Amino acid sequence: MSITQYNGSAIVAMTGKNCVVIGCDKRLGQQALTVDMNFEKVFRVKDKLYVGLPGLATDVQTLHDRIRYRVNMYDLEEERAIQPDNLAHMISNMLYQKRFGPYFCEPIIAGLTEKDEPYIMGMDLIGCLSSAPDFIVGGTASDNLYGMCEALWEPDLGPDDLFRSASQALLNAVDRDAMSGWGAVVHVITPEKTETYHLQGRQD
Amino acid sequence: MVPTEHHGDQWEPYVDNGGSTLAIAGEDFVVIGSDTRSSDGYNINTRYDPKAFKFTNNTVLATTGYRADCKSMAKSVQAQITKYAHDHGKEMSVEAMAQMLSIMMYQKRFFSYYVFPIVAGIDKEGKGAVYSYDPVGNMERVGFRAFGSSSALLQPFIDDQLGFKNRADIKPEERELHLPDLQQAKNIITDVFNGAAERDIYTGDGLQLFTITKEGGIELEELPLKRD
Amino acid sequence: MSEASRSDYDRGVNTFSPEGRFYQVEYALEAIKLGSTAIGIQTSEGAVLAAEKRVTSSLLVPSSIEKIVKIDDHVGCAVAGLTPDSRIIIEHARGQAQSHKFTYDEPILVRSVSQSVCDLALQFGESVGESKPKMSRPFGVALLIAGMDEDEKPSLYHCEPTGTLVKTRLKAIGGGQEGAQSKLEADFEKDYNENPTLEQAKHLALKVLKEVMEDKITKTNIELSFVTMGEIRGKKAPLFQYENEEALGQLIERIEREKREQDALEFGESGDRMEEDH
Repeated sequence: MSITQYNGSAIVAMTGKNCVVIGCDKRLGQQALTVDMNFEKVFRVKDKLYVGLPGLATDVQTLHDRIRYRVNMYDLEEERAIQPDNLAHMISNMLYQKRFGPYFCEPIIAGLTEKDEPYIMGMDLIGCLSSAPDFIVGGTASDNLYGMCEALWEPDLGPDDLFRSASQALLNAVDRDAMSGWGAVVHVITPEKTETYHLQGRQD
Repeated sequence: MVPTEHHGDQWEPYVDNGGSTLAIAGEDFVVIGSDTRSSDGYNINTRYDPKAFKFTNNTVLATTGYRADCKSMAKSVQAQITKYAHDHGKEMSVEAMAQMLSIMMYQKRFFSYYVFPIVAGIDKEGKGAVYSYDPVGNMERVGFRAFGSSSALLQPFIDDQLGFKNRADIKPEERELHLPDLQQAKNIITDVFNGAAERDIYTGDGLQLFTITKEGGIELEELPLKRD
Repeated sequence: MSEASRSDYDRGVNTFSPEGRFYQVEYALEAIKLGSTAIGIQTSEGAVLAAEKRVTSSLLVPSSIEKIVKIDDHVGCAVAGLTPDSRIIIEHARGQAQSHKFTYDEPILVRSVSQSVCDLALQFGESVGESKPKMSRPFGVALLIAGMDEDEKPSLYHCEPTGTLVKTRLKAIGGGQEGAQSKLEADFEKDYNENPTLEQAKHLALKVLKEVMEDKITKTNIELSFVTMGEIRGKKAPLFQYENEEALGQLIERIEREKREQDALEFGESGDRMEEDH
């Protein structure tokens, strides 16, 4: 089993009409043993910009700290809010700097641009960016999430429908993955506000 | 998920030829979908190798896994079904076929067929029946089941759509009250197979849709899937 | 020629006589007639088996004699002839029934289990090379197999040492088979228009059995069983069962009463017989 699957995770980001959602499961395990049932893997970067970090939990935490450090430095030096694409390239660059001793994490970025256009981006563990018009998934439940999202996603969903699709995708995907689950968190990002929902899931 | 025939110098008796199957039981019908691609690693052996076959006027057996084992097992099952018809003067029921297959597979417990079979048909009460197995014959009667290289992509979706898992409107316990009609079941299969063909390199080329009803017997439709 | 050739040809169990007969098999049929009588009747709602038990000594425990045995939940069998031989057959039939249930998750057809018994009946003969036959001689028993399939249709089969399997509605085997058969057929047509109820069939079976028995009929020297729709683990299903003692007693009582009434009619106004009645 790959080290990226050691702790278990499931993250999904989806685009809608002037909105994006990003969600994750809450489990932290050591292989089959569940250690924490409230371990979130999606983090706020700005009000309308979130990053999901599926993979090895220690690298998730370290990367999150380093991203926060770099974003704060950006704020101070540039005196403007970092944009989603800038963040994506920044993280990509951070990962590639560790090309031969990588963080075992495949980040997913979701947010709204300056023009309030939806933005999602994925990358591999050494920072190779991959964009998609519809959704990005990651973690041990990624196959399950691909199946769910391929069937549920459709263009130009409003925030409510998008939330519903992403939640259904996430919950049903983690129920068929032993490594992830134990509830979910979903952030719905719209131009006006970002709302965070905690979803009850199976406790097994 | 990637099939391997060799690990170093050690010869491996099994290959995973990929492909997916999905069966849905309704009140008085069953639908079985399966793709027609057969692969070995990054090679496509053929774009047309059907995985599901009619066994009696009332049953279909669909198998993924190692094609050689699938075909060998199917031949043995067919032989037993023919023998049963001669011995007992009647056609084998789905229940009988399901139980028999479980036993045939367990008889090869220590050199199993590398197969993931689904038996579908109309039961003695006229209801749709789907039986699923692991490679050593552990059998379970279910309302719906996905197997094969795309099972991880297909199963969570039908859990949601047909098992009513994680839904606010209908409880999973009320599933029996909300069984799909024939058209809904067919739509779910075609939709979800298109999704699977999009993401899984081992699923694609063609989709076979078997429909079994009490009155109409067994019907087969063939639809295209992505070929890349 | 015939007397001399008979003693020659009846030695080998698998040797045809010049007339095309197997003497040993024919003798086996004779062995059946030495035993007690058994009767089978098939009706539209079920099938009945009745058998006589010859209790040869008052020290003998009647329940230790078994003439009717259960093969599976839905099939039973009555035997006549050399009962020890029947144990091999019954064992085989029970095995076949369980094997079928194990393999197919359904009860075996009455026809199939009967056929499997008849297949066994021909497994006799001399050893040829390495292969050894199961038995050295033909079975000396005849069987009446009664059961009901999942379609709720009852059936009755007759199986002989010849390996012949016949589906029948009425059959008597054993010592009194000729007398019982003609009596059965006559009453079946006369009293029930060939369509008795299950209760009527029980009555008919015991009435005929009583007539061919040497001993007086009692609750202990006969067996009566039947197959009809019953309940297995809370589910409606064909069920083979023995008649309970109370019902059996009542049936016998009724038959004896009817017999007395019949006799009284035939003997006219014979005084002491009438008195005995009341």
